[in-house]
Amino acid sequence: MNPHLSGEQISKCLIGDGTPQETQHARDCAVCGAELARLESSFSQFRGSIRRWSDQEEHLSRVREVAAVNYENHLERLLIPASVDLPWYKGIVISVKELIHPPKLPPLEITSKPVKLASLRGLYGGHETTAGIGSVIVHVAVVALLLFAGTLKPVRQAMKEIVPIFAPDLKPLQPKPEQSKGGGGSPQQTAATKGELPKVAPKSFVPPIQTVQDPKLTVNPTIVAPELPNITAGNYGDPLGKLGIPSAGNGIGTGIGPGKGSGFGPGSGGGFGGAAYRIGGGVSAPVAVVKPEPEYSEEARKAKWQGAVLLSLVVDENGVPQDIKVIKSLGLGLDQKAIEAVQKWRFKPGQKDGKPVPVSANIEVNFRLL
Amino acid sequence: MEKGLLPELAPVAEGPCPGELQDFDSLVQRHRPRIFRFLLASLRDREAAENLTQDCFMRAYKARDQFRGGSSLGTWLMHIAANLVRDHEANSRLKFWKRKLRYDVDLNDVGDWMPDHQKSPEALALAREQVEAIWRAAASLSERQRTVFLLRFVEDMDLLEIAAVTGMKEGTVKTHLFRAVQSVRFGLEEGK
Ligand SMILES: [Zn+2]
Repeated sequence: MNPHLSGEQISKCLIGDGTPQETQHARDCAVCGAELARLESSFSQFRGSIRRWSDQEEHLSRVREVAAVNYENHLERLLIPASVDLPWYKGIVISVKELIHPPKLPPLEITSKPVKLASLRGLYGGHETTAGIGSVIVHVAVVALLLFAGTLKPVRQAMKEIVPIFAPDLKPLQPKPEQSKGGGGSPQQTAATKGELPKVAPKSFVPPIQTVQDPKLTVNPTIVAPELPNITAGNYGDPLGKLGIPSAGNGIGTGIGPGKGSGFGPGSGGGFGGAAYRIGGGVSAPVAVVKPEPEYSEEARKAKWQGAVLLSLVVDENGVPQDIKVIKSLGLGLDQKAIEAVQKWRFKPGQKDGKPVPVSANIEVNFRLL
Repeated sequence: MEKGLLPELAPVAEGPCPGELQDFDSLVQRHRPRIFRFLLASLRDREAAENLTQDCFMRAYKARDQFRGGSSLGTWLMHIAANLVRDHEANSRLKFWKRKLRYDVDLNDVGDWMPDHQKSPEALALAREQVEAIWRAAASLSERQRTVFLLRFVEDMDLLEIAAVTGMKEGTVKTHLFRAVQSVRFGLEEGK
């Protein structure tokens, strides 16, 4: 075996300037190969950090642009320095335009005649100097405050962040048995029988299909679920179930079906057939707490591809996104990047009656090279 | 690399025509991210990078007659950008204090841009250390060495492209690149 490559030889291999023998050795020798791979990985980390940095800076200019165009509330107006009203890159084309066709100003027409005016002094009762100094002090203080606010970490952070649009999902969700938040039966040996679902109520005091001996107070059986298919039958049961001898299914709890809890279907918790709650009507929206930015896919970066991916997802009661699906695709690998990013997001779960519940939501993930 | 873009270039290289500005606009859209990234990495100063990106396209527009399609448009624009970096560097050498300040500020920021899908906090910390060590080493390189280094390892250009961008001979590029890599490796070892 040849002696290992020297440091200089390794550098040469790294820049693609090694001799055939050196390159061959680097390929065959585990030690030298590992050294090269380690360097390459450090360099690619470096590349990644620059790309992210520059993407973020560009993104920031875009956020400023959006804010400058249509900020409505005064706080945002305070946070945006006036100098960024026009994003810098917009200036490129405009200045080129002005370079070729300098804007012609209309000739100045003077239609009014000068009027002789007595001294302004005295109009303010001799307080001009005090008022002037006061005004200067106030202005200096305000500007200093603005400058100071601009350097604060939270403010800079706020400018860095994009806030994704949260639109409540307005379409009815289809029941998805594989994903259902349902309830379990007694447990009994046979699967749940076909029947009518009990009335939906915020709390299930009397579970369906359960023998209650001599009730003191009669309460109709209910289950906890946001949305139910409607079938009419003489008994309570699984609307999708089989006919047979009455059974609440082989789950655990007071519901119907193979799951666990007080609902219906094979899942756990209150609910039915994958139906997460929808925002509104006493159900609060989940709030993203941790939201790493999506990365650009290499193809999309090369193609300078941009736009937004619309995702639908269910934020479960632990604040973890589930069942992420693409509603509006962007292509070039960006859908996948959007999903990857959102998978890492963590939310403060949506709440119903003060308890965290699974809630469905839409998220728009923006990809911009501007 | 950018060869696919060449056919679209014709209107820009020719004399003024009505659609020219629109074409120029789309050209800016297409190439600005890369030019900006190179300038940002070279100067480690967002404001300066933004200004020089603008200058770069202004110069490209004024000198559009000189572009004959001999090299790809991307290379040509990068060539202008590299020249701007050299001028900028020559000017700011006098203001060494400002330069130092800038490095200090930006080195703190750089670590913030680490990809966050690292396996563990330890791996992230290690990667972050390495990236910072490379930044420091790159900051101490000469302007030529750094430009060559960034073009090779950030912009993924090959030696011939780098030679076209910098106007150096391929052998000279190799020499600069070799010295840059040696310094950066030294910086990485030192950081351990
Ligand atoms: Zn070896």
